Parts: sequence; structure tokens; C-alpha cells
Amino acid sequence: MKGRVIISVLAISLAVLSCRNNSAKPEGFVLADMDSLTASANPGVDAMEEIYRNFSSPLEIANLFQVSGVPFSPAYLASSLNANEKTTSFQKALYLGILGADLGYLNMYEKTGTSIELLSSVKKIADGLNVGQFFDFETIKRISLNKSNLDSLLFLSVDSYSRMDEYLRKNNRSQLSAIMIVGVWIEAQYFATQVMKQYPGNLLRERIGEQKYFLEDLVRIVNPYCDTDKEFTTVCSYLRDIASKYENVKISYSKGEPSSSVKDGILVMTQTETSMVEMTDQQLAEIIEMTGIVRNKLIAN
Amino acid sequence: MKKYFLGFLLLLSGYAVINGQAQSDPLLSKCLMSTGPTAKYLKDFRIQLGQAASTDALRYKANMSLWKNTRYRFTLCTDENSMGKLILNIWDNSNNIVLSSVDRKTGTIFNYVDLICNKSGVYQIYFDFTEGQAGSGVSIVSMIQ
Repeated sequence: MKGRVIISVLAISLAVLSCRNNSAKPEGFVLADMDSLTASANPGVDAMEEIYRNFSSPLEIANLFQVSGVPFSPAYLASSLNANEKTTSFQKALYLGILGADLGYLNMYEKTGTSIELLSSVKKIADGLNVGQFFDFETIKRISLNKSNLDSLLFLSVDSYSRMDEYLRKNNRSQLSAIMIVGVWIEAQYFATQVMKQYPGNLLRERIGEQKYFLEDLVRIVNPYCDTDKEFTTVCSYLRDIASKYENVKISYSKGEPSSSVKDGILVMTQTETSMVEMTDQQLAEIIEMTGIVRNKLIAN
Repeated sequence: MKKYFLGFLLLLSGYAVINGQAQSDPLLSKCLMSTGPTAKYLKDFRIQLGQAASTDALRYKANMSLWKNTRYRFTLCTDENSMGKLILNIWDNSNNIVLSSVDRKTGTIFNYVDLICNKSGVYQIYFDFTEGQAGSGVSIVSMIQ
């Protein structure tokens, strides 16, 4: 009899362990306050997946800075963000996104030794949203401190965020996934516009103009939630404020046939078809200003 | 009692090994290491397909934004137990093929394809295994500086 009890306890222990890190089994997690939004507002997992995949990551923005010879600056970071017991789930998701972009920027510039404090904040906020199990804090911290392998670090950071995002979307918490993406985008856009002020250049100017594409998708992601919650209503109006500055920005295309060559066993395709952004200095200045206002309001809340 | 405790430890260590294996993907790690010294990781696709009924179109589809003035590298890694080799086609939003990892004239299948992108937009990325065979593979998308 005693033996059977022990076996039962062991079996239950194993079952509990096997549920850890299993995204298909959400029962073990306590949902937070903002999670009570209705599932009917969910724009659909597939649509979110498409939009998520389409988004220009902060890594690509930071890569553009490096290609343009822009030096690293800690002044662009929102590294003082932290969560406490009064921080809502909405804020946590937003902060997670903002800090994710900051982490990408630090990693791309290989300022990994200085990112530990930020990593701790990310972990704490992720835990607060019950997605901390997807953020591989110890491994990322170890690689960051060792400065051993940048590509592994980029992979682990991006993969952790993707898994947190996927978990939120697949467990009826898409509104938090949406706001996390808003956080990532606004911070990357903030980097781009701040750098543009200090180091104006055509590459960055075009990339800022091209964000018109993504902003339209972003507005589409958050739109179903705009009337469901006061915090969402505010962020929706912020995004519309930025979108209004993009209204007259035009993107045109010219045709061309791609050319190819092979070098060292690598097939290299060069597109000759191009996209061009038509944006006046006035429009750019307004986008820069509005982005700064919105981003600073979001981190001040 | 001791016997049950020992049994539990054995079960637990077995669980840890299996769980550890699931979390680390050797093909992904190997592929990540082979992208090249100037490549910076951007995202990855993990493809697993059975035998296709027909070979009309590539079966695994994803959308991805590619941005002007960026050189992207698609590294294609096929699991050694696969029947076919991982291949890639990229189409733009006007349904024009932008690149293919298969050179139809020579039959060469490239494991590395670089795209020097000059048109920002959403592209359709298609993967499959040669002749619609079964297989599993990984593709890493990197930026080249």
C-alpha cells in the first residue's frame, strides 16, 4: 500500500515536471489581470503570425546603423524600465517589447557585458507575465559575459522572444503579444529617428519612410483591442498620431531583372528592381518629433 | 523504500536527458555555426515534410519582410536522414520569382544563397525537399555586413 502511494506521488511529480516549458499545456499558469479581454477581439493566430514574421526587427535597424558607420550610444536606451507590483500586464508586455529592442541594439554592437542589468529586467518582467520559462536567462547571461559567440547570443535572444510571443498568441493572450510587438517597433523606430537627427543619411531616411508599411500592419494588429481597455485606447491613439505623419509619404517602384553570380560556392542574387521613398524634410521632421513624443510617453507611464 | 527512491532518480534522470535533447536541436546548432564569419543571425525556419503527392509547388510557405540596402544570406541545412535536399524559392508580392537555390540549367543545388535586396516589401519564402521527398531541415536567415 505504502509502495503504491509512493509510486503515485512519483508519477504525479513526473507529470508536473513534464508540463514545464510545454507551450501546449497552459493549465499550470495563472493568467494576469489584462488577460481577461475577450477572445472575440483576437484577430486570429495565423494573422498575427504573418504580421509578426513581417516585421523589421531592431537587429536590422542596428545593422543599418553599423553599415552607415554610426557609433553606439547608450543615450537611446530605455534601460531604466522596471516592473513592480503596480505594473499592469499591459505595461509589462510593452516594457518587454521595448527592452527586447534595447537588447537587440546592445547585442548588435556587442555591448554584451553591459546588458546584464537589462537582461535581469527582461527576466523579471517575463516572469511577471508568466512567460519567464521561455527566456533562457542563464545561458544568455553566460554568453553575454563571455562575449563568446555573437550569433548564438542573437539566436537565443530572438528565439526566447519568439517563444514568449508564440506562447502568448496560442494561449488567448494575443493582446499582450500585440502590445509587445508595439513596444519592439516603437523602440526600434525611436532608435532610427534619434540616429537620423544626429547622423542624417539616405539609407536611414529610406528605412524610416518604409516603416509606413509596417505601421499599417501594426495598427491592424492593435485595432481589435482599441475599445476594450483604457491603456489600449491610449496606445491606439498614439499609433494613429504617428501614422498621420506618414499619410503623405509615398513609396514607388521601378522594374528590373535580377542578376546572379556564384562566388565561393555561394549563389549571389542582386535585385535591380528597386523601391523608392518620397518623403519631404518636413514630413521626416514631423515623424521624428512624433515618434519621440510617443515613445517617451510610453516609458514615462 | 530505497528501491522506489532509486527508481524515481532513474526516471528523473531519463526525463532530464530526453527533455534536454528536445530543447537543443543539433541541426540548428550546426547550421548556425556555418553561416559565415560576417553573417549576423536574423531568424530561422525549421522545415519538416513528408513525401509529397505531387511536385507541382514547394510546400512550406512563409512570408517575410526584406528591406532595401540589405544583403541577406539564406543558409540551407538538410538533416542527414532526409530523403531529399532542402531547397528554397523566393517570390515577390507581384508573383515574380526573385531567387531559387536550384540552378535549373546545371542542376546545382546551393546551400548558401545571398540576396542583395533593393526593394523593400513582403516576400514569399518557399521551402521543400528535392523532388518532393520527405525530409527535415533548417534555414537560417542572416544579414551580411
